Amino acid sequence: MSIAVTIPPEKLTGTAVGKSTPKLENREKVLGRAEYIDDLYRPGMLHAAILGSPHAHARILSYDVSQALAAPGVVAVITGDDVPDGRMGAFIKDEHALAKGKVLYQGEPVAAVAAETLEQARAAVNLIEVEYEELPAVLSPEEGLAPDAPILHENLDAYFKVFDAGSKGNLCSRTELSEGDVDSAWAECAVVVEGEYTTEPQAHVAIEPCGALAEVDAQGRVTLWSANQSVFRVQANVCESLNLPMSRLRSLTPRVGAGFGNKMEAHVQPLTVALAMKTGRPVKCILTREEDFEIVRARHPFKVRMKTGADAQGRLIARDCEVLLDCGAFADDSPGVLGYALLMSGGPYRIPNQRARGKLVYTNKLRFGAFRGFGNPQVGFAGEQQIDQIARKLGIDPIEMRRRNMLREGDGWFAGPKVASNGLARCLDAVEAASGWARRDAISAAPGKRRGKGIAISAHISGLLGTGAIVRMLEDGTIALNTGATDIGQGSDTVLAQICAEALQVPVEMVSVASPDTDGSPYNWGTTASRVTYTTGRAVAGAARDVLRQAMDHAAEMLDVPVDQLELREGGRIAVKGANVDLPFAAISARAHWAKGGPIVGSHSLVFDEPTHDPKRAIALGLPFPRIGVFSFGAVVVDVEVDEVTGQPRVAEAWSAIDVGRAINPRLVDVQIEGGFVQGMGFALYEAMVWDGARLVNPSLMDYKIPTSADTPPIHSIIVEDPEPNGPFGAKGAGEIGLNPVPAAIANALTQVVGGPLHALPMTPERVLDQMTGQADEQPQGQGDEA
Amino acid sequence: MAGKEVFALQINGTRREIFAPGDATLLDVLRDDLALRAAKRGCNQGVCGACTVMVDGVPVRGCLTLAGACTGREVTTLEGFADDAAMQALQEAMILSGGVQCGFCTSGMLITARDLVAQTPVPDEPAIRSALSGNLCRCTGYVRIVEAVTDAALQLARQKDTKREAVE
Amino acid sequence: MSFVVAPQTVDEAIAFLAANPDARPMAGGASLVAMKNARLIEASHFVSLARIEALRGIGPSAAGGLRIGGMMHHRQIAECADLTGGWQMLRQAAGLIANRVVRNMGTIGGAIANADPAADYLPVLACAGAEVELVGPDGLRRLAVADYLVDWYETALEPGEIVTAIELPAGGDGPSVYRKLARTPGDYATVSVACAREGAGPDSSVRVAVGACGPAPIRDRDAEAALAGRLHDPAAIAAFCATLAEQADPIDDVRGSAAYRLKLIPRMVAAAIRDVTGDR
Ligand SMILES: Cc1cc2nc3c(=O)[nH]c(=O)nc-3n(C[C@H](O)[C@H](O)[C@H](O)COP(=O)(O)OP(=O)(O)OC[C@H]3O[C@@H](n4cnc5c(N)ncnc54)[C@H](O)[C@@H]3O)c2cc1C
Ligand code: FES
Ligand code: FES
Repeated sequence: MSIAVTIPPEKLTGTAVGKSTPKLENREKVLGRAEYIDDLYRPGMLHAAILGSPHAHARILSYDVSQALAAPGVVAVITGDDVPDGRMGAFIKDEHALAKGKVLYQGEPVAAVAAETLEQARAAVNLIEVEYEELPAVLSPEEGLAPDAPILHENLDAYFKVFDAGSKGNLCSRTELSEGDVDSAWAECAVVVEGEYTTEPQAHVAIEPCGALAEVDAQGRVTLWSANQSVFRVQANVCESLNLPMSRLRSLTPRVGAGFGNKMEAHVQPLTVALAMKTGRPVKCILTREEDFEIVRARHPFKVRMKTGADAQGRLIARDCEVLLDCGAFADDSPGVLGYALLMSGGPYRIPNQRARGKLVYTNKLRFGAFRGFGNPQVGFAGEQQIDQIARKLGIDPIEMRRRNMLREGDGWFAGPKVASNGLARCLDAVEAASGWARRDAISAAPGKRRGKGIAISAHISGLLGTGAIVRMLEDGTIALNTGATDIGQGSDTVLAQICAEALQVPVEMVSVASPDTDGSPYNWGTTASRVTYTTGRAVAGAARDVLRQAMDHAAEMLDVPVDQLELREGGRIAVKGANVDLPFAAISARAHWAKGGPIVGSHSLVFDEPTHDPKRAIALGLPFPRIGVFSFGAVVVDVEVDEVTGQPRVAEAWSAIDVGRAINPRLVDVQIEGGFVQGMGFALYEAMVWDGARLVNPSLMDYKIPTSADTPPIHSIIVEDPEPNGPFGAKGAGEIGLNPVPAAIANALTQVVGGPLHALPMTPERVLDQMTGQADEQPQGQGDEA
Repeated sequence: MAGKEVFALQINGTRREIFAPGDATLLDVLRDDLALRAAKRGCNQGVCGACTVMVDGVPVRGCLTLAGACTGREVTTLEGFADDAAMQALQEAMILSGGVQCGFCTSGMLITARDLVAQTPVPDEPAIRSALSGNLCRCTGYVRIVEAVTDAALQLARQKDTKREAVE
Repeated sequence: MSFVVAPQTVDEAIAFLAANPDARPMAGGASLVAMKNARLIEASHFVSLARIEALRGIGPSAAGGLRIGGMMHHRQIAECADLTGGWQMLRQAAGLIANRVVRNMGTIGGAIANADPAADYLPVLACAGAEVELVGPDGLRRLAVADYLVDWYETALEPGEIVTAIELPAGGDGPSVYRKLARTPGDYATVSVACAREGAGPDSSVRVAVGACGPAPIRDRDAEAALAGRLHDPAAIAAFCATLAEQADPIDDVRGSAAYRLKLIPRMVAAAIRDVTGDR
């Protein structure tokens, strides 16, 4: 359903980039032969089961594992006493492999059993006795900040932190950014809107639950397979928590049944390795769906307080944003989510005066962490509703309001990041035209329904940290690519192969892609932050250039012409410019392998190194990302229908345009847009993890609902290409941007339909009905449905 | 925990004998004992659909079906559809459309879709969306899966027409 | 003996259950096996009812109504062409249970034995005035749905008894309708309403039952009688709806708050009445 691919296929000169090549591993998947973590078996393998804490906050006094050890089939039991005092964490190292000394949330793993069968392991877990001293629990950030609150991490001061977090008591981190002078700017505003917004925890619900398989060889070296988004983060987390040198652990990946942030940092890998080390046998640990809900991680609940002001022409003057985040029991990626949410809180707009402040507070709940969007959907839910609110007050069309204020080419981002390519205006044009926005009031609702459209826009980075690529020319001139980037199903193996093929002018079929392996792959921080196409793609293009340079040197000697007279031709041939003389890669590689110079190995690595903060522009405190990334943009329009009897909302149709710089594989971009839309729609309309006190009440797919094929609309994906100057063939990321604006767009549409405001997610039938009937109380019957 | 028993099952056209706990599910024995791992375990509660297989030609949840209740019945997993023209059409369409992302839902999705195209030769979009609503996919947003089933169904219908014409 | 036993007749099943008090009947396993997987139940055996011919079929009952075998799957009921008029709502309800695949597994007998207060059949059967046929060691009995459902998840089913059939009285011409609000397609109901019209003339009346708002469906025959002949009178409908809402005892759960359910009852009941009267 791509409506506008802006570079038409016939204009592409390349062999691979810009083509919707089906993913390389699709056949394996449709035949059911792809192997995921639970499909792996090793000889003599044991199965693990986990004992979760019954308490939210308690001191562990003693363990009695004797009965469990004596149970049939049991080979080993581990508790906190069996793991070293190492701590892991992406920003603050506050987490052990297994609860040690204290438990910090209900369900937290306190012990694990390895047995001959899964049934035996599960049965034995219930025989472990743990004596606890219960402590009062902190169940909300407000409780955590109270002066006499019980403290979760007594040694917080001593923990290693990668940035100035300002941690204190239960305050895990705080971040503040400001630019211009917000406090005095309100005086210049003709309209000021203000509100509080809340969002609920969303579960990732990758259909594959998390799992790991570890074994130890005779030398004591560990091999670990796991469902992951980065074999390198797995390696780091296991080694930090178990005090192992990194060289003692090899981390590998099978196919991954998707990850949305949940498989980026550790889940069961550390305890699985601990069990394998204790037993000396391979151990597999696969979470049940319930455990996957209870002990991995989830999207942060946000409390956002936001104020926005504009002049009489609708030009934005100031925005102030304050957020309070529940961190859960461990920092995980939370400080990053806080910092990033604040950086994004102004949205893709020119706002001369901006301030964003936030606190992240430890509570006795499951850790919250990375989830597609990384805090951006939550602040966008607030910000994009305020843009509409101002537009309404001033009688400006919502799209026009956005046009007047959006970041233009050459504008920088709040606090300092540079923005190079910017296709936002084209995204807005595209969704406006495709959705028939101008005629939106003309569409009538079906009997018993009300109907209306809403819009929201967003920007998202792709970038962050280090990445590398190795490209080798094989003896026959075909190409082996090795990057260390885990393909979690989104198709990065295919996209990186396309980039490599394009750079070397060979067909994609001539490029093999190595599975990530910490022993043999160059470092890759991870498949996260919408970064693989952009950062790893750059590394691949660089490594391919390195190969080409070497091949050219060979060719120059072989043909006896200077390098500058040579050119690369389609099919993997190096030719003399303007002449009918060329050499295939096979001939060059044969020479390199057998006669002169040695095998051709190209490599390239990079780290994203442009500063986030420009001190001339803004003041920043506690910024977790000194260097961040390049910007993708997006706009989405939704057509929403509300049932007049129940208030139940339904998205009837959606149009989503994103600027990806250059679509290396347009179909894979479409699917990022569509999948992101639906995940955002679930977040907007029904998804919420619910706690009753310290207990998660809906850790099952029966009780926690995600969108199905029958409640999702047709989604028109629109690709906009505004090439990123240093992106591979102009590409930038597409992974998260499609989700970000969805809750806000739906809220804006619903506000049209039932009268706002809708300041709390999810926008359940109950909340919508309350709005609808509240409005009906104020207005005479029948006037509410002009939408 | 129930004691172990011998089950004689007819799986993908072959008789297989398995020694497994009496209360083992069909999904357990397929994956653990028979190494037929196309069917996945996403929830073990009947909700996600990743474990969908056919029993006597009818799609059911592998995780909610006891192996002991399948004696005398014909069990077919995705592996058993290797030579099935309708399944091949669905598989090819999925490869091309982009309906496969992580692939964890794909096997169950294909089984349900195979049943749909057998019962309703040219299903429209609402029929496809309704039929697949018990197979959760968290990656694709369903657009390309619906497209793939539409394409495959049309292609199968055309093939049938040409065959009929050839006979006439 | 094997864990799953599959008797051929009702008598064999009853005898086996009597001899093995820790055995449990199994219909499609759609809920039973899910409970086993979650380690919520222990049993010595599962007694599969799948091979008992007498539990199948949909056809005329001896009383002139309709008899549905306990082992009829939701899909078979959803596709049954005989379910029209006053029985149309049963067909609709069956088609809204779970999804295509689970409808191949779950059965009407299993759903009634399981008696989830949010189950789709319950309000429909209450509305239709259906009887549940139970057979046990002491023989056969038939109970009205209201008498069969005792409390939250508690039924009159005695240990060793099984649900063999459901009998519906003559359904009339209807029309009838089943309205279900669920968070997503295939979820259990947040609130559901079954409504059937009796007669077509000016003194026609409706039968109405509300599901998922208490331990059992809410039905009030006196209120139905009071509404007879006044189906186009908004005040009378409002009073009727209020009476049903007063009898509700909903809970707060993940599918919706009790307060929301109380707001929905009058709205959904009124809408269902409009459905069968054709009023807008
Ligand atoms: C994913 C999913 C979604 C669902 N959604 C819905 C929904 O939207 N609406 C809805 O109404 N239902 C829903 N259900 C319930 C389902 O449709 C079945 O109707 C219900 O689970 C009963 O299943 P069954 O017939 O296989 O009975 P079983 O699971 O075999 O048995 C259920 C219980 O009844 C007992 N039992 C079974 N048959 C008999 C009998 N004849 N006599 C006495 N006792 C018996 C068993 O011992 C057990 O305790 C859902 C189930 C699943 C798995
Ligand atoms: S594993 Fe069977 S439905 Fe999810
Ligand atoms: S492709 Fe990942 S769940 Fe469907």
